[in-house]
Amino acid sequence: MKIPWIIKYRPKKVDDVINQEEAKSQILTWLHSWLEGRRPEKKALLLYGPPGVGKTSLVEAIVKEYDLELLELNASDYRRTQDIRKTVAIASQKRPLFKRMTLILMDEVDGLSPRGDIGGIDELIKIIPNTINPIILTANDPWKDQLRPLRELVSMVEFKSLTLNQTISVLQNICNKEKIECEREALKFIAERSMGDLRGAINDLESVAEGYGKVTYNIVSLVIKGRDKSIDLWRTLNGVFYAKEAWQAKRSVTNSEEDYETLMAWFNDNVPLKYGDYEDLFRALDSLSRASLFLRRAKSGNWDMLSYVFDLIGPGITFSRKNGELLKNRFSYPERIKIMAQLKGLRESRDRIAGILAKRLHTSQRFVKSDLMQYIIVMLRYGNIEKAAMLSRAYGFNEDDLKYLTGNRYKDIQKEIELLKEGRSVEEKEVSKVRSVEEKEKRHVSLETFGAKPTNKEESKKKYRKSK
Amino acid sequence: MSSVTELLWTEKYRPRSLKDIINQQDITARLMKFVNEKNMPHLLFAGPPGTGKTTAAHALAHDLYGDAYQQFMLELNASDERGIDTIREKVKEFARSKTPPDIPFKIILLDEADNMTSDAQQALRRLMELYSASTRFILAANYPSKIIDAIQSRCAFFRFTSLKKEDVVNRLKYIADKEKIDYEEEALDIIFEISEGDMRKAINVLQASAYLGKVSSDLVFKVVGMARPKDVRDMIETALKGNFIEARELLRKVMIEYGLSGEDVVRQIHREIMGSDIKISEELRVLIADYLGEVHFRIAEGSDEDIQLSAFLAWLSMMGKKLGA
Repeated sequence: MKIPWIIKYRPKKVDDVINQEEAKSQILTWLHSWLEGRRPEKKALLLYGPPGVGKTSLVEAIVKEYDLELLELNASDYRRTQDIRKTVAIASQKRPLFKRMTLILMDEVDGLSPRGDIGGIDELIKIIPNTINPIILTANDPWKDQLRPLRELVSMVEFKSLTLNQTISVLQNICNKEKIECEREALKFIAERSMGDLRGAINDLESVAEGYGKVTYNIVSLVIKGRDKSIDLWRTLNGVFYAKEAWQAKRSVTNSEEDYETLMAWFNDNVPLKYGDYEDLFRALDSLSRASLFLRRAKSGNWDMLSYVFDLIGPGITFSRKNGELLKNRFSYPERIKIMAQLKGLRESRDRIAGILAKRLHTSQRFVKSDLMQYIIVMLRYGNIEKAAMLSRAYGFNEDDLKYLTGNRYKDIQKEIELLKEGRSVEEKEVSKVRSVEEKEKRHVSLETFGAKPTNKEESKKKYRKSK
Repeated sequence: MSSVTELLWTEKYRPRSLKDIINQQDITARLMKFVNEKNMPHLLFAGPPGTGKTTAAHALAHDLYGDAYQQFMLELNASDERGIDTIREKVKEFARSKTPPDIPFKIILLDEADNMTSDAQQALRRLMELYSASTRFILAANYPSKIIDAIQSRCAFFRFTSLKKEDVVNRLKYIADKEKIDYEEEALDIIFEISEGDMRKAINVLQASAYLGKVSSDLVFKVVGMARPKDVRDMIETALKGNFIEARELLRKVMIEYGLSGEDVVRQIHREIMGSDIKISEELRVLIADYLGEVHFRIAEGSDEDIQLSAFLAWLSMMGKKLGA
């Protein structure tokens, strides 16, 4: 099983966490007084700072280094009053077992929604003053109104954004360990886009390396459009796949700042990696296909329909999984986004070709595309090369269109077209006489290699040189 | 035509004049009468594809106006025009253009008219009345029943029938001799069988085969096979075996290699599931068609084709597993 890099390269020791020296000393001082049996005045810490700078990682490193018991609750767990009472309240009163102290970590308290986590914050306010175990909270934005009463009870610990060079050197380090070819320019691009969010940067790095095998500037600049700072795609995917209730799944989707099409492309490619049971898979993709339909309806002006798009992407996918377990596969970049540009060019060619032929043959473009085009492709890719060249010329296809129609044979046909142009003025008849003899041989060849590949390119090239 | 010019034979051998059209004799006789009288009503040509509807319309215009007939004829294809509004604009402009010297009307050919919605056809009917002083419409359709009564009653009706075997084979022979190609007689019979009386298709198959070598029965079969993306069949079969991920890779391969759009792929799938190459139960064919129709409709409505087709393949894999297990 592959481990996501953000887990694999998570800091193991407190020293591994970079750039947060002040935060470290503040936390460790506070922790030492707990360990020495002097309960500090403020029984809880609120670590705050942008996402992906190491808040949770540092806490986990501390737990390991000081051999503590960790009780962790994060965004996808239940955090309503009764859930908190059941877990946090009990843990806060738990006596140390074999001298191991329990550290309670509640991630993303600014994400406690007033709607879903009814009373969650009130409950925390009751627990904190009386806890006999240390509590650490984290938040991206600690200044939210709903957190005001909480702020008075805790010590605030600030985490700083990572600098560009720090981010780059972490990425470079991972590239070395994974033995993956990485251009420095590419890493710089990723780092800049991440704006100090190391987790985001590592996710980007991994997904590019995974999808393309190497990390070059060209790929990266094409694939990574700019990372969403609040909840990135991977978090959205995780949020949906691991949600326990409908509102959680839906919130993961609505919180994402990616456009809907990108989001759906991600789900379309990643659901099959996560859902192994064929009924689960169908239910999920069916739900997604209906989301796409509702999006279409929304975009035609009926914006009320947008809400159903979120329902069908989020909970629709989460609760499609009834039979199977979540597979351990890692997420991948959607194939779709990679091939889009390529596909666009091809389709433009098809449209232009269909336009030309429909006019000349007095038929619809649709007919050309669904029927005739295939025969033309057979003629140009596998047929007699001279005729193919003549035909190509007669309809004035441009370079791209000809490339599409002739496939591997493009260069040969192009050469033949040049020959035709010269041949017309000079000794046209002689040339064609020589060719017609060769024609018979060539037909022979093309019949034998039929269906497998276009006729032997090298051989026909030689023949042309001779005939010239 | 010089020897260095090569055209698609469907273009090269399209009959130019009514008298060149060898089949559909009763139809051409009636049309020739219009030419002699220099007058005609609106016409409705109905019949299967490749039976000469468009050709007859052009030949009629040619015989009426002479070689430069194109300036007096507006050709529209309902499948390609973006709705009745663009058709209206084009008709309006054309009606204002120059009139022929000794004939009081111009011709508007609206091909594949049965692809228009009935609302669009209502609008079309008003157009026909509005410009009836200076224009005549020729509507061509595969299925006349899809043309609203209000239009049918305003048109003289011509039913084109599927071409007879001897007509098609004779024409193929004529072309083959003109092109000096090698062929086996039997191969021409095969081409007729495959093309189901569609002359246009028959000629395309002949030309593609001739480019590859001596036209034999085997070669004809091979060419027809090549002209159908085999990957589409593979994709369906792979999905039915329950292998979704591989099937979707094939889907993307087909789209890349042939540049097919979602709707193109749907049409190919439809052709395959109703064809004999795929061995599935007759009941399953119907179930697939039902689901495929829904997919087609959603794509036509503008939803994402990759997502719709993925859902279709997931459904196929599920059906395959269920029925196979």
